[in-house]
Amino acid sequence: MDYQQLLLALLPDLLVVVALFAALGVDYSRLRGSRLAKRYQVACQISAAGLIAGLAVLVWQITRTMPVMESTAEGQLLLNTGTLTLKALLYAMGLGVLPLAKRDQITPQVSEYFALLLLATLGMGFVVTSRNLLGAFVALELVSLSLYAMTVLNQASRASAEAALKYLTFGAVSSGFLLFGLSYLYGATGQLDLTQMQDLQHSPILVLAYLLIFVGLGFKLALAPFHLWAPDVYQNAPTPVAGWIGSGSKIAAAALLIALLQPVSDASKLKEALIPALAALAVLSMVVGNLGALRQTNLKRLLAYSAIANAGYLLVGVVAFSAAGNISVIFYILVYSLASLGAFGVVAVLTDKLGRDAEISDFNGCWTKTPGLSVAFLVFVLSMAGIPPLAGFLGKFYLFYTAIEAAPEATNWLDGFYWLVAFALIMSVVSLYYYLRVLKAFLVTPSDEGKAASIVPIKIGWAAGLTLSLLAIAVFALGLWPEPLLELLKDFSPPDQVIN
Amino acid sequence: MTALLTIILSFIGALVCGLMPSSAHRRIRWVALAFAAAGLGVSAVCYVNYSGGEFADLLEAEWIPSLGIDFTTGYDGISLPLLLVTGLVAVCGVLFSWTLESRANQFYAFYFALIGGVYGVFLSLDLFLLFVFYEIAVVPKYFLIAIWGGVRRQFAAMKLVLYSFGGSALVLLGMIAVFFLANDASGESLKTFSLLKLQKGQVPAEAQQWIFPMIFVGFAIMAGMWPFHTWAPTGHVAAPTAVSMLLAGVVMKLGAYGCLRVAVGLLPEGAQDWASWVAVVAVINIVYGALVALKQDDFKYVIGYSSVSHMGFVLLGIATLNLTGMTGAVLQMFSHGVIGALLFALVGTVIYSRTKTRMLNELHRLIDRMPGIAWVFIVAGLASMGLPGFSGFVSELYVLIGAWGSLSGWIVGGAGLGILLTFGYTLVKIHEAFFRERKTSAPGDAEISYTAMTMPEKIGVAILLGSALLIGLCPWLLTDKISPSLKLMLERFPN
Repeated sequence: MDYQQLLLALLPDLLVVVALFAALGVDYSRLRGSRLAKRYQVACQISAAGLIAGLAVLVWQITRTMPVMESTAEGQLLLNTGTLTLKALLYAMGLGVLPLAKRDQITPQVSEYFALLLLATLGMGFVVTSRNLLGAFVALELVSLSLYAMTVLNQASRASAEAALKYLTFGAVSSGFLLFGLSYLYGATGQLDLTQMQDLQHSPILVLAYLLIFVGLGFKLALAPFHLWAPDVYQNAPTPVAGWIGSGSKIAAAALLIALLQPVSDASKLKEALIPALAALAVLSMVVGNLGALRQTNLKRLLAYSAIANAGYLLVGVVAFSAAGNISVIFYILVYSLASLGAFGVVAVLTDKLGRDAEISDFNGCWTKTPGLSVAFLVFVLSMAGIPPLAGFLGKFYLFYTAIEAAPEATNWLDGFYWLVAFALIMSVVSLYYYLRVLKAFLVTPSDEGKAASIVPIKIGWAAGLTLSLLAIAVFALGLWPEPLLELLKDFSPPDQVIN
Repeated sequence: MTALLTIILSFIGALVCGLMPSSAHRRIRWVALAFAAAGLGVSAVCYVNYSGGEFADLLEAEWIPSLGIDFTTGYDGISLPLLLVTGLVAVCGVLFSWTLESRANQFYAFYFALIGGVYGVFLSLDLFLLFVFYEIAVVPKYFLIAIWGGVRRQFAAMKLVLYSFGGSALVLLGMIAVFFLANDASGESLKTFSLLKLQKGQVPAEAQQWIFPMIFVGFAIMAGMWPFHTWAPTGHVAAPTAVSMLLAGVVMKLGAYGCLRVAVGLLPEGAQDWASWVAVVAVINIVYGALVALKQDDFKYVIGYSSVSHMGFVLLGIATLNLTGMTGAVLQMFSHGVIGALLFALVGTVIYSRTKTRMLNELHRLIDRMPGIAWVFIVAGLASMGLPGFSGFVSELYVLIGAWGSLSGWIVGGAGLGILLTFGYTLVKIHEAFFRERKTSAPGDAEISYTAMTMPEKIGVAILLGSALLIGLCPWLLTDKISPSLKLMLERFPN
């Protein structure tokens, strides 16, 4: 093994780890007893420096100005343009979470907060590049454990602790399912390396393995019926953390799902056995998510239900089992995450001085108080709703497109995926109702004067402002001009083999 | 590239108006007028330069090659009248909102976003692009109605948007199916959204059977097709004047245009199979809309249902699938665009701002107290009724002649009945509004005299009524442009 090569390949991660320890070390030693604001400031700066450095190296790697091996020994990591791009985007989004976390100063355990954020980001980076069952599992656990811990950081809130406990117990059980499924997959194929798994035969044990994997990852993606943790966690976790759970961890889980299903794509009998399960999960998630969201009065809870629904749409692209389908899933989860992070960002900025859970009606009249944030929120929510020309529309369109492409010649409704796409479209219409309800509070309703403790005009701060503007611009730009990103992501999933 | 300016100018207009401070509403309305007039000007230039039936001003560029999506724009004789009507209504919409003060900057930002989307639909020659613009036009409507609307505005806005998106969902599914199923002459799969390329190939006949109703109904929901028309009256009534003008004048045309350009244009065999059903629904639209209009007490609802009735003629014209009838359909889109907008402007702003009520039973011999406005309305009502000399007469005549040619006598009879009913409700409602004495008139009520029309109102009325009269007297101004393009479309029909 060439250790120099390995060092170069893992340099971004290494830089993040260094930043992590630096943040912890400085906070524990030099800043002992300093003001909270100061400690947040320094921890945030160190973490940001680490992520920026990691990001810079990643850009070198992607542009191949820095030679990096395609894959490490035994397929532990696959470092091609697609996976590296995804990793870079995760780092960039992690960077975006930092100023939000700095703003809300929710806990005296400052450096732990940022260290956990970095750890979660690091784990996500590994999940999307890993092509080894064990490595991917360990990385995913790294993400999950960091997120569990971050959920409970708001010690003043009982609800936060309850949500974290719920998250932890559900999460631990689902990890068990996932590991069980992975072990069956290993048992049936004798391989840990996903790129080496070929010619999978249809067998009950493989079907069982994949079903267990669906349960495990279904939890991480908040697919119904494994979604029960999501509304509580989204509502009660610190808002930046909820944003990171709703974006970064979703990208990681979706990428892992795609990687795990890659070997199935040319095993047609196994594929046919799995499609009904995936389609059922998709339909159920869309129903639970969209109908559940209709009656929510809490904005973060509503976003949780919308996340469940969006995970359902995501599976519409997965059932296509094609290279284009896989790319569409990755593209969709990316643009969804950008919008979701943005929406949580706006909520975080607006409510961190509110001192209680914000109801949708608390946002009444935001257009007078914070017009800029209201416009940004409009962009994020419309993108989630799938309105052109925003990226969310293109993402959804691409998912449906690949699902139809899988079997365009339909003779009746149950052939191909016309019915599934039609169902998803109907559900998107339903979703518009609650998205517009939220936007109505922000943009239509005048503010309720006299109501105590509603949203007040606030200073956003340049870092959070920049983050939110960049996210909004990205959501716009990816809708208008997605080709470069699609091109970069292309080799995330190897092209379909022509089967004769 | 000229035509593309309409879209670009509208979106720039949205941005400029949106960024101006809302306190500057006097300045904003001039800026808005300038942008709307510029759009109209560009459409007029397109009109003057156009001849022959082919697409003009073509712009073809790659947009998202990995999904087979191109950026293709251009226009032909079918889109031309609609570009003009969009320009006209946009200008008049600003004129009739001259007194708007509250959140004026945001109003015009949404207003121009909507108009930009509308121009975009009429200019797109790529299905995906067309769909994108079609959707862009939806969201501004929600905010325009929900913020600046009248009674029950939240409900009406939400209803309108959900209906729109329900329709688009159908269209999107049909559109993706067309993408994957269309073949060229040699049976090779085309995989394109470009209308130009799709027109050269064809979709297998059995697939057209089920794709046609999907796309047609999807678009026709926006055209106010019975039984999916209910968004239209509630939406029109709740919307602020400029927006109900746009809804009736332009947005309903989006749906009809989609039916004609996409559903009929790309799926001729499906159209032939379903034409008689479309005709039946169209006649229901005409008769039902007129009957319901007859029963309304709210003046704006009368106009709302009359829109539904008039859009029935557009659908009937499309269902004839012959040159005369379809020319009539396009002409009717223009005609109803200007006359419908005019009626909404008169009822929503000119009369309402003076009487403060739209309920017919609260109005009391307006002819004595605002004679000028009353006579303008009566002329507009006659135009809407299809009096010879106005565009409505010509277009309905074309549609009926076309219908004689290819549809059963019952259909034509039904449409004729609809015309009679239109005469009926127009005259009855004019009587109720202007000539009837209110049963319980307050003492001294008759002495109140209302102010005359303001200058912007006069100009707006003149523009809209003038265009209806001009096309009524010289229909060849439009038919000469429309017919050649429709002829090309019909040539692709199998016999």
